[in-house]
Amino acid sequence: MALFVHAFPRLHRLDAPAAATPREIPHNARMSTHQPDAELIALLDRVAAGDAAALRRLYELTSAKLYGLAVRVVVNREWAEDVLQEAFLTIWRVAGDYRAALSPPMAWLGLIVRSRGLDFLRRRAAERSHLTQELDETLSDTLAGDMPDPMNTTQASEQAWALHQCLERLENRQREVVSLAYLRDLSHGELASQLKLPLGTVKTWIRRGLEQLRHCMARFA
Amino acid sequence: MNLLRHPELLERIAASHALGTLRGGARRRFEAMCREQAPVRAAALVWQGRLASMAELQAELTPDPAVWARIHNLVEAERTERAMQAARAPTAGTRKGWWHSLPLWRGAAFAGALATVVAVASGLILREQLGTRMGQELAEQARALGTQITALRTQLQAAPQIQYVAVLADDKAAASILVTVDPKNGRMTLQRVGPYQEAGDKSLQLWALPQQGAPRSLGVLGSEKVLRLTAGEPDVREVPALAISLEPKGGVPSAGGPTGPVLFKGALLQTVL
Repeated sequence: MALFVHAFPRLHRLDAPAAATPREIPHNARMSTHQPDAELIALLDRVAAGDAAALRRLYELTSAKLYGLAVRVVVNREWAEDVLQEAFLTIWRVAGDYRAALSPPMAWLGLIVRSRGLDFLRRRAAERSHLTQELDETLSDTLAGDMPDPMNTTQASEQAWALHQCLERLENRQREVVSLAYLRDLSHGELASQLKLPLGTVKTWIRRGLEQLRHCMARFA
Repeated sequence: MNLLRHPELLERIAASHALGTLRGGARRRFEAMCREQAPVRAAALVWQGRLASMAELQAELTPDPAVWARIHNLVEAERTERAMQAARAPTAGTRKGWWHSLPLWRGAAFAGALATVVAVASGLILREQLGTRMGQELAEQARALGTQITALRTQLQAAPQIQYVAVLADDKAAASILVTVDPKNGRMTLQRVGPYQEAGDKSLQLWALPQQGAPRSLGVLGSEKVLRLTAGEPDVREVPALAISLEPKGGVPSAGGPTGPVLFKGALLQTVL
């Protein structure tokens, strides 16, 4: 399995001066809450060594978050359960690869869930193409109106906190289109047809959304 | 164009690449540049990492408890299989030829021992018939015979003593799965003998059907031809029948009983070796 996961989550620490007056970093306040990362990493190490009890604990700690993600990717809750199941079997088999990924643990776990979810949708689309219509309708519902902020920063890594801060500054619908493009791996055209929006609108929203993200994220780099 | 001279453009392309909206030729060209130029690659990786955090920001939802039960069943099945493989090939992970097969050699040793006993015994008879009186030699032969018998007895004790057998058949009475239980060694072996193959998203689950009370799950079958489960005397004692149901992949929790159709069933018979 080719998990292409590379991230530099703590890069800003490397260039922080070692002197007594550390540089002000906007999300410094959250550092103390990153104890969960250490616990998840220790659990992943144990899972890699074949410890089934550690897998259970990992499931207890992360399944709600990952199931929420799976539902966002495949929409249907029953399918999302299958995706969660496949994702945990993958985690059981490839936990040994985690260390090399250099990612925060939740981001790595999330990538596995997303990629299993996308596999699921592809398989399903191949099996019964007549169902895509039904899926399109469910998808377009997800964008109905300006939804309240659905984001949740529980257990989020520093990197996710930064992304959250930046996404929050986007307009709701813009944020939603950017999120869906990523989570469901959709092209401009697919987004336009699934969300029943003009192609030009989708392109503009994405371009502006990414532009704002780029400026905002630069401050966290 | 050299993207390194246009840092803003590089950032913009790296961001849409990570988002997934950069497609077609533009995507291929950018990926080629990534391979060639480390700073371009770095920009792409930074954006992949940033957007990967999107996965962490989704609202939480509690999955049905059955999901963990299925994961647990599948992980256990995999562990059992791995342990069996390790036991079969303790030194190397590579698949070995038939001459490394332990049961084969156990069988061969047994046959060899039996042949020796027969040979020794017939030798004795022959000697007696010939009327030779070589007392010392006879005593020696008898001692050898005694040793062989002891060895045979040890081998017999080590070999599994199958005490329960069930042939699970479908509604047309065609045998599909053979179950043997060796309570002494706490082992249950399931062997597919029919052509039935469940779909990829389904699993077969084995149930004990006790005289009283609800069915009890004994395990979930993988796709392998022969499956070994851990099962002791208490699992099968006073269980008149076993059944196999078709369940979602990974099976269902024991407490809820089967949810899918019962495909095969059969009486559990005690046998004496």
